[in-house]
Amino acid sequence: MTPELAELRDSAREVLAAEGLAAPEDKTWPLALDLGWLLVAVPEAQGGLGQGLAGACAFHAEMGRSLCAAPYLPAMLAMEAVIHTAREDWIERLGASGFVTAPLVDPTLTITDGGIVAGMASAVPSADRASHVLLGSEAGDCVALVALQQAGIDARHRETWDTTRRLFDLRFDNVAVDPSLVLARGNDARVLSRRLATHRDFALAADAVGGAAAALEMTVEYLKTRRQFGRPLALFQALKHRCADLKARIVAAEALLADNLARVGTEVDSERAEALGKAAKSFAVSAYAAVAEEMLQLHGGIGMTAEHACHLFLKRALLDEQLGRCTSYELDVADTLLGAG
Amino acid sequence: MSQAPEALRTEVRAWLQNNIPRDWRAAMTGTDQDAFVRAQREWFGKLVKAGYATPHWPEGWPGGGRSLAEQKIIYEEVARADAPRLILFFVALYHAACTLIEWGTDAQKRTHLPGILDGKLWCQGFSEPNAGSDLAAVRTRAELRGDRYVINGQKIWSTLAQHADYCLLLVRTDTAGPPQAGLTYLLLDMRSKGVSVRPIAQITGDDEFSEIFLDDVEVPVSDRVGAQGQGWAVAQSTLASERGLTLVELSHRMRYALSRITGLMRERGVDGDAALRRDLGRLAPKVDAACALADQYLLKRIENTEAPGDASIVKLHYARTLRDFTALGLRIAGLQGQYREPFIRGGGMETGNWPFDFMNSYNWTIAGGSDEIQRNIIAERMLGMPREPKDWRLSGERT
Repeated sequence: MTPELAELRDSAREVLAAEGLAAPEDKTWPLALDLGWLLVAVPEAQGGLGQGLAGACAFHAEMGRSLCAAPYLPAMLAMEAVIHTAREDWIERLGASGFVTAPLVDPTLTITDGGIVAGMASAVPSADRASHVLLGSEAGDCVALVALQQAGIDARHRETWDTTRRLFDLRFDNVAVDPSLVLARGNDARVLSRRLATHRDFALAADAVGGAAAALEMTVEYLKTRRQFGRPLALFQALKHRCADLKARIVAAEALLADNLARVGTEVDSERAEALGKAAKSFAVSAYAAVAEEMLQLHGGIGMTAEHACHLFLKRALLDEQLGRCTSYELDVADTLLGAG
Repeated sequence: MSQAPEALRTEVRAWLQNNIPRDWRAAMTGTDQDAFVRAQREWFGKLVKAGYATPHWPEGWPGGGRSLAEQKIIYEEVARADAPRLILFFVALYHAACTLIEWGTDAQKRTHLPGILDGKLWCQGFSEPNAGSDLAAVRTRAELRGDRYVINGQKIWSTLAQHADYCLLLVRTDTAGPPQAGLTYLLLDMRSKGVSVRPIAQITGDDEFSEIFLDDVEVPVSDRVGAQGQGWAVAQSTLASERGLTLVELSHRMRYALSRITGLMRERGVDGDAALRRDLGRLAPKVDAACALADQYLLKRIENTEAPGDASIVKLHYARTLRDFTALGLRIAGLQGQYREPFIRGGGMETGNWPFDFMNSYNWTIAGGSDEIQRNIIAERMLGMPREPKDWRLSGERT
């Protein structure tokens, strides 16, 4: 991480901490825009910070750490798509005030050669505040931006246990795509789709790593403060060892994330990057879920109360595990080692 | 000595390709320890000659003066080439040499460093039956009589001590004050009168470790390292001598060894088994994380940014992953794996003899500070959780 990026990341951490855990989207989204967090991966030639995927992930981790409700992840996916299809006007628009969302799982829809969209996109964050949605066809042969304010689109808010995200189901009933908003077709679209899915996997891994680190810090702090049997709970070795194991798991997930990002470098659309992203995601989200699960247990009764933040981490961790690709990550990793089963 | 990283890598890779003992795994399968010692000596000789045995020694010594980054490249290539590990010489090359380089007198260095290059073997005499994880509890007594120490006590878990010429011996010279302050560090000639060594039969069938019994053994004061009472500090240097490098090598070896698991799955016809595939898919990123942790830890050492607990995380993660790795091999091998087969001496942590490998993996979860000790260090020094109180009493016990 360059010193400039580290500085920017630190300032983001500070700003988000000042807003408090899981601060409302209405507060954090304008911050993300105003402070230029969407420009992290934009090349310097186009007015960005040129920090690539690794830079983006430093910010995704901060979103996770603060349980940020702003739809930063889908916005960054849209940004990635317009950067790599050289849509200068859109880069500017998304960096300034526009918001294009994107599904956090693979959509099940078709886009015909004539540009007609039919099918469904699930887990689309904050779709009610977006002008467009970034869609890739299931076959991978078309990636396009689709305007949301048009007939034939049924947007339905789906309440999730995780209240730090607002997810929508979008149903498309033969909706026409503006031809000028088709970003890629054919093989270009397949490569772009792979790039976007890889970014999404790495982003989820970073979200998980950030969330897990914050969850463990809170837990350790609680154990140091809470006294039972005349001593702080943090004195009990049984609890210390559990925290140590969680710490080791988080640090391992951070190390794998950093190492895989370094191996990807700028080749984000390669097959290798795809495999590295899957491994990082699968390892990080399972670590996050384990930390969140232990967090609640180690907090005892207070962790079961809605006023305490434990449940927010747990719910976000459980959702993170389900976002991303529809395939089994572990089986995909096995495929790369053994060949398809 | 310093050269471009890629040039060094190419050079080492080519050298290894031409010099690794052919079919050494087959040759070391079911062999006795003498044959193993002969093979290790031969391999050691080649490495010393090429300068690859001593990259960590200071400039001026054969092969010495390599940066940590260069040492890492050599280790990575050794792992990649699946070369035999220099187990027999490990204590000599790292523990003894680094301790002497840091603390030894000129006379000690002049005697022992060339001796190591000539093949003199060293063992470590730190642990005792009642001082394992709690090393400061060492009880072996050394009494100063004139210009010699007279030593009585017992050491244990001393790797390959039955072949050693010398021993790095941690003894107690003082029983007053804090336990660390009463320790002294000596160089023991294993041929001294009163030294007896008994190999320990291990659950794996190997007898890598020995007990050392010390009965009125005399060591000249000139063979003391550091001052009397400074043994704890000297011992810390010994233990830190290979910090980071070993786990770079071992974790990279583990990554290459994933092909043993996939090979076994194919061989056993279970490569389509979804449950096993899932286990493999869970294990592989963990192995990659072990490599990433080891690499990043070494980088911290190079950049001098190591923080307390960092090393514990690397070791704990490696140890747990190795257990998972060998356990998966064991499971895939099925009943077939339960039929006893000869093991490979010095074959590393993933030899493909899965019950052997599984049992051998306890070396990493117990030795060198058990997992439990590592967890204490992580909790106390990284997470800032309080230490255990010193005073204790079982309920109902009278004080």
